[in-house]
Amino acid sequence: MKKSLLLIAMVLILPTLMIGCATTGQLEKVQAEQKMIDAKADQAMKDAQAAKAAADAARVKADETSARAENAIKAAAEMEKAAAERERVAAEKERAAAEREKAAAEKATVSDEKAKKAEAAFEKSMKK
Amino acid sequence: MSRISNLSLSHNQLRLAAFCMFILSISGCATSKSVQTAPPFPVHREPVLREKEIERNRFTVAQGEDVIGRPAVVRIEKDDTLPDIARHFSLGIKEISAANPKVDVWVPEAGERVVLPLSFILPDAPRKGIVVNLASMRLFQYKEDGTSLSVTTYPVGIGTDERPTPTGRMHVVRKAARPTWHVPSSIAADHRKKGDILPKTVPPGPENPLGEYALYLNKGSYLIHGTNKPASIGLTATNGCLRLYPENIKALFDDTPVKTPVLIVDQPYLVGQRNGVLYLEAHGPADESGALESEKLHKKLRAIEKQAARAIDWKKVKEVQAEARGIPVPIFESGRGTEMEAAKPVEVEHPETLYGKPEIPALKLHAWYVLAADVRDRIEARRLAAIINHQGPQIPARVFEKSESYRVIAGPFNDGGEAKEAAKRLKIDLEIDGIVIEPDKNG
Repeated sequence: MKKSLLLIAMVLILPTLMIGCATTGQLEKVQAEQKMIDAKADQAMKDAQAAKAAADAARVKADETSARAENAIKAAAEMEKAAAERERVAAEKERAAAEREKAAAEKATVSDEKAKKAEAAFEKSMKK
Repeated sequence: MSRISNLSLSHNQLRLAAFCMFILSISGCATSKSVQTAPPFPVHREPVLREKEIERNRFTVAQGEDVIGRPAVVRIEKDDTLPDIARHFSLGIKEISAANPKVDVWVPEAGERVVLPLSFILPDAPRKGIVVNLASMRLFQYKEDGTSLSVTTYPVGIGTDERPTPTGRMHVVRKAARPTWHVPSSIAADHRKKGDILPKTVPPGPENPLGEYALYLNKGSYLIHGTNKPASIGLTATNGCLRLYPENIKALFDDTPVKTPVLIVDQPYLVGQRNGVLYLEAHGPADESGALESEKLHKKLRAIEKQAARAIDWKKVKEVQAEARGIPVPIFESGRGTEMEAAKPVEVEHPETLYGKPEIPALKLHAWYVLAADVRDRIEARRLAAIINHQGPQIPARVFEKSESYRVIAGPFNDGGEAKEAAKRLKIDLEIDGIVIEPDKNG
């Protein structure tokens, strides 16, 4: 009986012990895994933060570039507008100059014709 | 003692220095004053040799040479006209206007420099008696005195296309001072058409178109005479006669005996040489004979080129022909300084008064006037006033400036008859409808 009890006890205690041993090992393993995961999480977080920072920086740069591009477009448009205005003014001036020239030429022609007419009248008046 | 004498010396030196400074300061003032009163025209950097007078009528002809006189320039003054300048320098209107094609004949700008074409190539004709070149509208009177030959030249007015001056050999058959004009029937008919009835004869006086002297030629009824229209000299305005300025006809009349030969030629291109330089003088040919004359000229020049063994500047020849300014221009290819020098005109001082320039009498309050025109253009008004002033006999005229127009007023006239006669002449001669202005009755 005693033997059986002992056996039974041994049969019960040994696995129990064995179970206990097994749990500690597993715990260690879990803990190690947890640590690893934690580290990985840390790394991932860091990576994510770095990525976010990089993305932020990229966005800032993109914004800046976009703003500059916008400014450049605006400036180009302004310049184009100014050039068009200048061109218009120049064309206007040219047109006015051409008109003045035409008017002067017409005036000169009229004046020449008048002078010739006067000359002819004078020459005629000089006859006997 | 020596100290005293030294002191006295330094005192004298001081006085001398002060005197010198005073003199220097005076000259300094004079210099600054002369700078302040400098003329408004740009001052020539090169010293310009200005001559008071220039030979215009009488020249000596050197043996074997054909070019006489030298061109000149004169600066126009306010109210000058080219006909005034022309008469003073014994030039015809066409001569001066051809030499200055860009200058307004009647309203030249004060300060403008006008070329006086007082250099002439003698016509290709015997140098004897009187030779007239119709193309250059110039008369040449030759005189031989022993071994030397002199020529006196005058501008002339010649016949129109309808009634041209005949060419050929003639001679003077008689002379008359204060001639009477027997009005030819053709001229009387012309005037009648314009509503102007001429008398059969016009006695000597301001209305006589023959002027004060006449030389009668043996051909038809052609004359060399004076004129009561001096501004017509250098124009084609006669009925075939040759007209001279009143002052020139007097000299010619006194110097021309009866029987003097007269040769009338028509040479638009004249070639001659002086000091080894070949010159060409071109006048616009009057008719379609231009091409023929040009061909004759080129033939002559080619012969000269061959004989002289020297190249002619044909580009220059073409230019001279095209411009037809009536000025002798060197045409041998350049390379000698004398050619440049030959073409350089001399600057002549503007005379104090221009001989024969029409004078405009002062305005009179109680006089008659004629309103000749009311125009908007100042130049037009001035031109018309100048033309009226140069009628023969003169009709005095001036420009009145209004706020928006310019009025040409002829007068003053002593009475209504004079004013009406002037208005009639303006109508007949210049087709101007003048309005007679009576004197202010209340004045």
